[in-house]
Amino acid sequence: MTGTGDSMDAVGFDSTTGFLDRGGCLRTAVRLADASRKERQPLGALWLDLDRFKQVNESFGHLGGDAVIGRLAAQLRDEFSARAEICRMGGDEFVFLVPNCSRAQAEEVAGDVLRAVSQPIELGNIRLRPSGSIGVALFDPVEDPLSFLERADRAMIEAKRLGGGRYVISGDERVPGRLGVLLAREELAIESKIHLALESGGLTLHYQPIIHFDGSIEAVEALMRCNVAGESIPPSKIIPVAEKTGLIVRLGEWSMLNAAQHARHLSDLGLPTRVAVNVSRAQLTAPRFIEALYSAFYCADIAPELLELELTESLFMDISDTVQANLQAAKKAGVSLAIDDFGTGYSCLADLKNIPASKLKLDRAFIRVLPEDKRSLAVVRAIGQLARELGMIVVAEGVETVEQFELLADIGLDAVQGFHCARPMDGQALVAWLRNRR
Amino acid sequence: MTDKVFSAVTLGDAIDVSINDIGIPPRPAILDRIGREMHLPEPDFHHLEQLICSDVALAAGLLKVANSAYFGFRTRARNVIQALTMLGLDVTSRALAGLILRRVFKTVHGLEQFWDFSARVARTSGWVAQQLELPGIVPADEAYTFGLFRDCGIAILTRRLPGYIDVLRLADADGEKNYTAIEDAACPTNHALVGSLLAQDWWLPAETSLAIRHHHDVLVLDRGESVLSAASGHLIAVAQLSEHLVQRATQQFQNREWDKLGAACLRQLNLDEAAVSTLENDVPPEVVADGV
Repeated sequence: MTGTGDSMDAVGFDSTTGFLDRGGCLRTAVRLADASRKERQPLGALWLDLDRFKQVNESFGHLGGDAVIGRLAAQLRDEFSARAEICRMGGDEFVFLVPNCSRAQAEEVAGDVLRAVSQPIELGNIRLRPSGSIGVALFDPVEDPLSFLERADRAMIEAKRLGGGRYVISGDERVPGRLGVLLAREELAIESKIHLALESGGLTLHYQPIIHFDGSIEAVEALMRCNVAGESIPPSKIIPVAEKTGLIVRLGEWSMLNAAQHARHLSDLGLPTRVAVNVSRAQLTAPRFIEALYSAFYCADIAPELLELELTESLFMDISDTVQANLQAAKKAGVSLAIDDFGTGYSCLADLKNIPASKLKLDRAFIRVLPEDKRSLAVVRAIGQLARELGMIVVAEGVETVEQFELLADIGLDAVQGFHCARPMDGQALVAWLRNRR
Repeated sequence: MTDKVFSAVTLGDAIDVSINDIGIPPRPAILDRIGREMHLPEPDFHHLEQLICSDVALAAGLLKVANSAYFGFRTRARNVIQALTMLGLDVTSRALAGLILRRVFKTVHGLEQFWDFSARVARTSGWVAQQLELPGIVPADEAYTFGLFRDCGIAILTRRLPGYIDVLRLADADGEKNYTAIEDAACPTNHALVGSLLAQDWWLPAETSLAIRHHHDVLVLDRGESVLSAASGHLIAVAQLSEHLVQRATQQFQNREWDKLGAACLRQLNLDEAAVSTLENDVPPEVVADGV
């Protein structure tokens, strides 16, 4: 497949190995990229660089280095020329252009190349065990072939940074974000969107009511929505990046203040309602959490009782002294605490006595299988009983059917949250919803 | 410095609002709307013009900002849409936040003098940023907005915490301890943290919000970019230097902050005492001393 044999002296080929040279590589990349666009077939590029090759050259001279390259080139030609266009970019760098190549296939080829490279080479009486670093890029039809190759090159540099002897797929590299944290490229894009959202109005809170069985409102849970340039980014993508970069503290403070302001707004309209806001472990362990909490209800000018903190399950991995102290201080401030998603993940029964919470929210995993799953029903009943004896209110999350609603009322839980009662809605819709219920 | 900067940041006497006792309001809806337009591939300036023009005082204030010497445009904006085009959406958003905050502050009973002082610090900050030629790091309008928002937490806490003014007096008189640490010892939170939350809520840039949070913290200021960006550090230093200039010119709202933070601020700005004296001599009275 690649240029070998009689075409060795032709323009576009490397005279030592017979592979395509740098110019030939680019021309071939352009041709294959065009074909990839037209035929809608994937195209992969692998950029290989030998690890510590400079030391081989220094120890054995360039002749030694050339011997290694020559041996390796023969091996690569034997194994890969049927699958890929092979190019020598100069020195110890090679590029493999692999047509019709999915991500899985690219990973397979990368693994094979790394194995081939690491075959021992005898140099005089020395046995060398080379290794290589590979960057893999999959062609995106909207990009130009040069940036496609550059992505493979960058991914290779990342593979080297990680210690070599491995491959990295472009898009998975870790690069420094604005706060100096190493992030994968997708995470980096999300980080920049969070910054944008925080600085130009891309964040909003939606609210989902929590309702007693007699129809009265227990509280509304504030749920963050992030929309940047018309793209909605789900919390499942935002939260992990925000936690890594520390932006979770800013997002958390923003949520607390906005939830408090909405509580104030509802009070002003004669619809006083407690607003619950989610708080993660990262927030509770950050400096000045309590001061920020006070700042929120001072800014909004509300009584602390109108704010509730829902403690997410990540908190329960390790309840440190800082977390414990912050929870006690929040309680002392007059803010009520709820344990969210109880019963799955890291939460356990011991938390019920360790955390000064007055509300327990049963995870939807128990509820969605009701009424059929009798074992879940038994768990719900038992937790409900236990929580009541501890003086806690018990809320069932994810209630979607009338059967579930009636069953949970029969069991004697206190309140429910879920599509059966109300979907999350924006602040304005919540006002209308609350008014309609009066 | 010309009269323009002074007049640029004055809303005029036409504003007639009665905010009475509501204190600091939630984020103004206009900022949300501008934020939404900024996200669109082609922002609808006519729509924004309509929104801004529905509040005559706000529209007038924005025109004055656009025509101020801070921006140095040769042409004058004659209507809101021209001002929007000249300033761009993010500067417009900052300018409107500043205009609205001024309006709110002016109506908080008992804080009129404090607000006058904040406005002077803000104006002087804009002037200092221009004199030091920091446009790449701290644009004059950003220094001005920071000056306005820097101490807005004081207004909020004064309303909520009885005896807070006495705590501030203690902090003003203390030549050693960190200002916010004195507040923290007596109150559940401090004005810097409250102010930074409000700034963030009003969609001000992260650098501004972070600078408000740390504006009394000499250690953070000296640790440089590991904690604060260069922009945040410069915002703090410019405003602190400006407060010092205003205090020297007016003898008002004296505190010991320059004793504690002055050296770090000068290091941040790469200035010496002689440069401070020059600024003190050059600062026009209408910037540093006149009422609002």
